[in-house]
Amino acid sequence: MTAATDAPVRHGPPRAASTGPLTAARLLRIELRRNAMLWMLPLLAALFWFSTYRPSMALPPWWNLRGTLLQQQALLGFAPLMAGVAAWMGSREGRRGTADLVGVTALPRWAGQLATWAATTCWAMVAYLGGVAVVYGITARQATWGGPLGWPVAVGAAMVAASCALGFAAGTLVPSRFSAPLVAVTVFLALAAGAIAIEHNSTYAQIWPLNVQGALPPDTFGTFSPYLPDLAITQVLFLAGLAAAVLGALGLRAAGGRWLRCAAAVAAAAGLAAAGTGVGLAGTARPEAHGIVIPTLHDTANDKPIAYTPVCSQAAVPVCLHPAYRSLLPAVTAALDPLLSEVAGLPGAPVRVWQVASTHLQQRPHNGIELSGPVIGGSPPVVSLPLSGMALPGEGHTTAAEFIRQLRSQVPPMLLNTLIGGDQLDTNGQQGSRSARQPSPSVLAQQVIKAALAQVAGVPPDSGVPPLPPGSPADAAAKRFAALPAAARHAWLVDHLTRLRAGQITLGELP
Amino acid sequence: MTPAGVDRPPSGLASATGMRPAGPRLAGLRLVRLYLASRRALTCLLVLVAFAVVLRTALHWMPRSGLASRQLPLTIQAGAAALIGVTTRSPFGEPERATGRWLPLLRLGTVTLLAGAAVGALVAGSASAHLAGGTLGMLRDLAGLTGIALLTAALLGGTLAWVGPLAYLVVTLHALQAAWTTPWVWPVRPPDDRGAALCAALVLAAGVAVITMRGARDTAGE
Repeated sequence: MTAATDAPVRHGPPRAASTGPLTAARLLRIELRRNAMLWMLPLLAALFWFSTYRPSMALPPWWNLRGTLLQQQALLGFAPLMAGVAAWMGSREGRRGTADLVGVTALPRWAGQLATWAATTCWAMVAYLGGVAVVYGITARQATWGGPLGWPVAVGAAMVAASCALGFAAGTLVPSRFSAPLVAVTVFLALAAGAIAIEHNSTYAQIWPLNVQGALPPDTFGTFSPYLPDLAITQVLFLAGLAAAVLGALGLRAAGGRWLRCAAAVAAAAGLAAAGTGVGLAGTARPEAHGIVIPTLHDTANDKPIAYTPVCSQAAVPVCLHPAYRSLLPAVTAALDPLLSEVAGLPGAPVRVWQVASTHLQQRPHNGIELSGPVIGGSPPVVSLPLSGMALPGEGHTTAAEFIRQLRSQVPPMLLNTLIGGDQLDTNGQQGSRSARQPSPSVLAQQVIKAALAQVAGVPPDSGVPPLPPGSPADAAAKRFAALPAAARHAWLVDHLTRLRAGQITLGELP
Repeated sequence: MTPAGVDRPPSGLASATGMRPAGPRLAGLRLVRLYLASRRALTCLLVLVAFAVVLRTALHWMPRSGLASRQLPLTIQAGAAALIGVTTRSPFGEPERATGRWLPLLRLGTVTLLAGAAVGALVAGSASAHLAGGTLGMLRDLAGLTGIALLTAALLGGTLAWVGPLAYLVVTLHALQAAWTTPWVWPVRPPDDRGAALCAALVLAAGVAVITMRGARDTAGE
């Protein structure tokens, strides 16, 4: 008789108060170890690398661009698969025929189901937040300004929890080998349907979890003014409510005692109320130039611009950008400097190019928007240049050369029209005494100089500079002017720009 | 008394119960019916019909061009392929493998039947509507996705066969956005692209071959 002496001595009965939480923690630990989502982590990591990490790293290191991808791309890849795995976990007892066996244990069935859902969601969160940490960690090393955006991640985390809850409930209610794929496909279809609803300008569809700030390009928000959390708050409210409603409904079916049923009913009702409130609030959303505004939730403090010190190029006409755009300064300078050096010092020419936030937004059909373009104004004149909405180097197939081409097709034509004029036909032409497409001699001289300067500045064709008929005297004059030395061109412009702009110079007076 | 007599039923049993012994043909049909029932083939067919209805509805509402016009049909095709993959799961496991002489033929027949039903359902669902990529593209994409589902079933087990096509769908959606051109992501290529069709056909052939010969992997506890 020696074995009995090795057994530990129990000092009194276990404390009743600590049994519940301990049991729940132990159950959660077991579920964490036995969870299918754990084995999905390598696949989820691979999908994250493929669909989110690589595109993120191809973009400039701006928090708004990468935060947007963490909400859109990561969730598009994760949510359906996570819902499918959660459905698989939810249908586990039904598939294995152990539902009756676990139904008669001391632990309420709802508590057991919540433990399984919680464990599944924990691993799903590990996958999602782990990916977020990697992307934000690398961005923190690369970024020249700003800090991580928390709201897109909050929406992502809420979407992960809601996907797992929906999938888990579906798997529990309909335990079948088909539950998991059907749930995953349904979530895919729901996400796609949301995109279509948004395209049809349905205001309530703004609640769609992949919607970051409506149709606004990601670089229009969170840089010059704070990130507007209005829409994100409604999305979190909706998703959290959806999760609570679904889990509460599960409890109504599975809970054992009266108190548990009451708790489940309260959770379901509160969840439905929260989800409905989220949808209702999303219906009042309206796009502003710096984000989606929901009047009930909007904090006017978020409308104030963020102070910053710009980074400027060293040139005759300096180009000044927001510090977040520091990496684009060489490209922007290379795009604009050829023309700016031609016109520097001329009357009415800009003394500086200053990057600004888009302040004007026009709604278009199919949820499209149009942002304000570059303008020149002030005294001394300054070019206000919004870069928002442009295809940036690394975005899709956009190269630095393509980015420069975009800039040259926007800024120089505007600058030349303002400085020289000649962008409209004269009155005679409109009255029909001259061919409707033929400008007057004075306007023709303006167009010749514009065409010459556009050629020198590398402005792509069809960018707003009126084309001259090939082989015509005007075309020859433009080529002649463009072939002059830069100093000669500049000297002629200094002497004649005022008269040229006033329409007092004809084609014959050009050098 | 020889052991050979044990294999034969007692001669008076059939007449005593009023039943005639089933012929080989009836026994074969019964085997096919039981095999299809064990794979939940009927449920699969019903869900495929539901997918056809969803596709028809989606084609009515969604834009005729753009990413969404490709995304929704592809999702439904991936779902159909996932269903076919899931049906490969055997509820009997090793005993069936040890005793089922006709298993390869039954597996091949079931996969062919369900894949044909999926094609029929989706073609019917997209009839008289604009399907981006056309019927040819749909056939190619569905074939490739089915191959992925069958390969996943062989690798991970029948219950997880849906993971492969849906993970591939995620890759495809990203590739459509990024305008990839590799034929291994066949949905991004035009419907008449030979390279993409060849890749999809290769994957389907590999999947069908593996499932026919080996069946889905048996997973413990399922």
